[in-house]
Amino acid sequence: MIQITNLEKFYRTEEVETVALNKLNLEIKTGEFVAIMGPSGCGKSTLLNILGLLDDPDAGSYLFNGTEVAHFNERKRADLRKHNIGFVFQSFNLIDELTVFENVELPLIYTGVSAVERKTRVEEVLTKMQIMHRRNHYPQQLSGGQQQRVAIARAVVNKPKLILADEPTGNLDSSNGNEVMELLTDLNEQGTTIIMVTHSEHDARYSHRIVRLLDGQTVMENIMM
Amino acid sequence: MFKNYLKTAWRNLWKGKVFNAMNVVGLSVAVACCILLFLTVYYEFSYDRFHTNLSNLYQVYAVSHRPNGDEPSTSMPVPLTPALKAEYQDVKFASRSANSGAIVRYGDKELDKDIHYVDEDFLKMYSFPLVQGNANTALSGINNVVISENAAESLFGKQNPINKTIQINLDNKPTSFLVTGIAKTAPDNSSIQFDILMRFEHYETYQRDLDHWDNATHLVYVQMKEGFDPSTFTKRLQPFVKKHFAQNIDLLKRDGAKPDAEGNIYSLKLTNFANNHFNVNMGGVEGSPISKIYVISLAAIGLFILVIACINFINLSVARAFTRAREVGVRKTLGAGKWQLLVQFWMETVMVCFAATVLGTLLAAVAMPQFKAIFKSQVSMGMLLQPTQLIGALLLFIIITVIAGFYPALIMMRYKTVSVLKGAVLNNKPGKLRNTLLVVQFSLSTLLIICTIVTWQQIQFLQNKPLGFNKTEVLSIPTGHNEIGLNVLSLMRNKLSDNPDVVSVTGAYMNFGRGTDGSMRTSIQGFNYKDTEVRTHIERVDYEYLKTLDIKLLEGRDFSRAYAGDTTAVVINEAMATQLGGKNLVGTYLPMYDNGEKTQIIGIVKNYNFRSLHEDIAPLTLTMNKEYSINYIYVKVKPGSLIQAYDRIKQSWHALLPNTEFQGSWLNENTERQYRAEKRLSGIFVSGAVIAIIISCIGLLAISIMIVMQRNKEIGIRKVLGASVPRIVMMLSSDFVKLVLLAAVIAFPIAWWLMHNWLQSFAYRVVLHWWVFAAAALLAMLVAFVTISFQSIKAAVSNPIKSLRSE
Repeated sequence: MIQITNLEKFYRTEEVETVALNKLNLEIKTGEFVAIMGPSGCGKSTLLNILGLLDDPDAGSYLFNGTEVAHFNERKRADLRKHNIGFVFQSFNLIDELTVFENVELPLIYTGVSAVERKTRVEEVLTKMQIMHRRNHYPQQLSGGQQQRVAIARAVVNKPKLILADEPTGNLDSSNGNEVMELLTDLNEQGTTIIMVTHSEHDARYSHRIVRLLDGQTVMENIMM
Repeated sequence: MFKNYLKTAWRNLWKGKVFNAMNVVGLSVAVACCILLFLTVYYEFSYDRFHTNLSNLYQVYAVSHRPNGDEPSTSMPVPLTPALKAEYQDVKFASRSANSGAIVRYGDKELDKDIHYVDEDFLKMYSFPLVQGNANTALSGINNVVISENAAESLFGKQNPINKTIQINLDNKPTSFLVTGIAKTAPDNSSIQFDILMRFEHYETYQRDLDHWDNATHLVYVQMKEGFDPSTFTKRLQPFVKKHFAQNIDLLKRDGAKPDAEGNIYSLKLTNFANNHFNVNMGGVEGSPISKIYVISLAAIGLFILVIACINFINLSVARAFTRAREVGVRKTLGAGKWQLLVQFWMETVMVCFAATVLGTLLAAVAMPQFKAIFKSQVSMGMLLQPTQLIGALLLFIIITVIAGFYPALIMMRYKTVSVLKGAVLNNKPGKLRNTLLVVQFSLSTLLIICTIVTWQQIQFLQNKPLGFNKTEVLSIPTGHNEIGLNVLSLMRNKLSDNPDVVSVTGAYMNFGRGTDGSMRTSIQGFNYKDTEVRTHIERVDYEYLKTLDIKLLEGRDFSRAYAGDTTAVVINEAMATQLGGKNLVGTYLPMYDNGEKTQIIGIVKNYNFRSLHEDIAPLTLTMNKEYSINYIYVKVKPGSLIQAYDRIKQSWHALLPNTEFQGSWLNENTERQYRAEKRLSGIFVSGAVIAIIISCIGLLAISIMIVMQRNKEIGIRKVLGASVPRIVMMLSSDFVKLVLLAAVIAFPIAWWLMHNWLQSFAYRVVLHWWVFAAAALLAMLVAFVTISFQSIKAAVSNPIKSLRSE
């Protein structure tokens, strides 16, 4: 599904140039659950942002389902993103002004799904995430675990092929964290490819493979049994 | 999708209700001001537009190219109109026009009506449709009259006036006229207003001036044929001018007149009647013309206020957009396109603008009666419903919402999704745009403050300047059209002779300023003196004029009953003495009259401002010539008994003249009344400046709230590190105060230029002092500082732990 070759990304200020990704090579197959780990500043989030087409690389190749997407323009990236990729953030990033239902409905609105179908699909996914009873609540009325479940519901409602999760349990206690990891595992078992950035060895164990980064390069890959 | 936009927009607005309320209040006040001011402007521009032949209607005027500048005049001689019509084929219709009041009688009713003396063509040229009668023939008979619906109702009640005979007092002789037409009453926005249209042949000087090309007494209108080219007409009129105005041209040449670019010393020109309402410098036009500068000032103030409110709106929207960066990022991540985000932001703007428009319109409706009363405006809310207004309002609405809504969205769009999600732009510096807009806002406010101070100073100056006569203790009473002025004067003199409050009584042809009868008249005469043309204002006075008005006599003596010859003598002012060439004038004779009779100068008075302070003191000759009527009676009373004296004089008047209204007013009221336009302008500047400052401050307050929110953590850290409260307040305020100072510096030259030009319209004016500018800048800075201080002090005294924890 994903093939990146010699991927490079630099951050420049007036005086300093920081290498975030240094000729990185990585391949992820459809249906995989990959955890990306490494110390702060090793390039995990940069990699995830590039994979999610939120940021573009300075050099190298990024093939998504066989198509070179590294230099797609904003419109093409937005299009690819909304049909193929779901995001789960550490800080949930739910919109405070929208209810649970409306937050989950949002990606469907942007992909032009009809109102009737939206209702069915949102209710379906909320039920699946066991948050249906909170459908009319606002994010700030929910616990952290519940908010992250809503965020996951929003990420999967468009049935993306790929879910990118950036420290999905970072803001949760362990029991809520485990619940979220179980949900991601379920999604993966149903065929969704998952790439997750995490600091937690515990969470990483839910994945099939751990990619460890240091200074923008892969230093080790562990295959989980 | 649309529903989602609306919903999100509403919730976002509700979340920021304090800011949005400020936005709505500021914007609705601006909308209300704009509605009132723009409607007034529209109304002023709508004057005379209802005439269907407007594009072909012209007024004839003459320009004398005198050595001291061009002198336009709209006064024309009696024989001009028939001659013009006969000699120029492109003149389709022509009509002379003059006004005066007269007493009209029908049955036992006796009313004072406004008579308009016109030629037969008048009704064919102007669109005053007849509800009864035929416009083509109504004035064909010499003794026919057309009366307005209003006049018909007041004279005839429910009777049909057609073919009824009415009596009109002309030259104090009742004359019979046949009513042959009822004209629709002229709308308020018509320069020409009349109760009765009468043939010009009845005008008081018609017979006398029938063949006189040198006596100009009335206005002349022409309707030109289709396809007429006004640009070449002046040239084509030149032979006509040379033929009929040869004497005028010779006199002008002798007095040193210089030919214009076309080689003409005296020319006749046409001005389109569409400009009539703005022709203040034409030397007399129909109606009450108004300076275009005044109307443009109104539009400019309206626009300024709208711009200021829109700037608030943009600044607040941008500021709030930063706090919503994360939301934009999330939406982008979830696939929102550029247009979808633009429309979402626009929707919120539309809702705020819509609320402000509705509220502003209501506010305008509530304020309208007050506005109309203060500014003598004839506007109505109904005018808003005209298609042009609605389209204009809609366009303005769309422009404002697009700018204020799209701009913040575009700014957000520029940021990368990743940095937005990380919150990297939340503490972004406000940027040049916000500062620029604040500078524009405060420049406009400072400009209005300066204009306010200067106009106020000038009006105070006009009101308080000694005019050279007693304006506080002298009562001026119009004699009315019903009576012979000299008789009224004599009656009043006798009646008031035993009134202990009254010092003296006199009469005159002209009033000072504008009396309660609303009229201002003037009479200018020219004659040859030592081979030079001398021009002088003429004032017909009666005995005790100088005593009653406290006018200082410099040489000679006042008119006296002791000298029988005084009725043909004159007293002149210093300006006239200077024109006549200087000294030892008392006792000399002036050849003022065509019949060769000479008149002796018996006295010279100190110059006094007998006209408004817009004009320099012109040469003036006081005469007791009975050809001029006495129109005003002046009564000087003892100081300290003004109210009591007024009542007693009024009682005496009613006892003598029970059927004539008492319209007495103090001279200082009359002189103040002639500066109504300036007072109105000043009033509008004051209101405009106050509103502009308030709206600017609402914006500044909201921005300062935003800034304090954005810099909350910084303030906390600074406090922990030992910064004092005043230091933090200064830190937060100084940036803004600097901007306001810059704004003031920008406003200075513009304000100076505007006010300098405005003051040029007064012969007597205040000096533009530097301190006015300094005071305006100081005021703007002070107001800005106080506004910001509310927030900065609050932030500075708050517990730093709170702000650090909340981060």
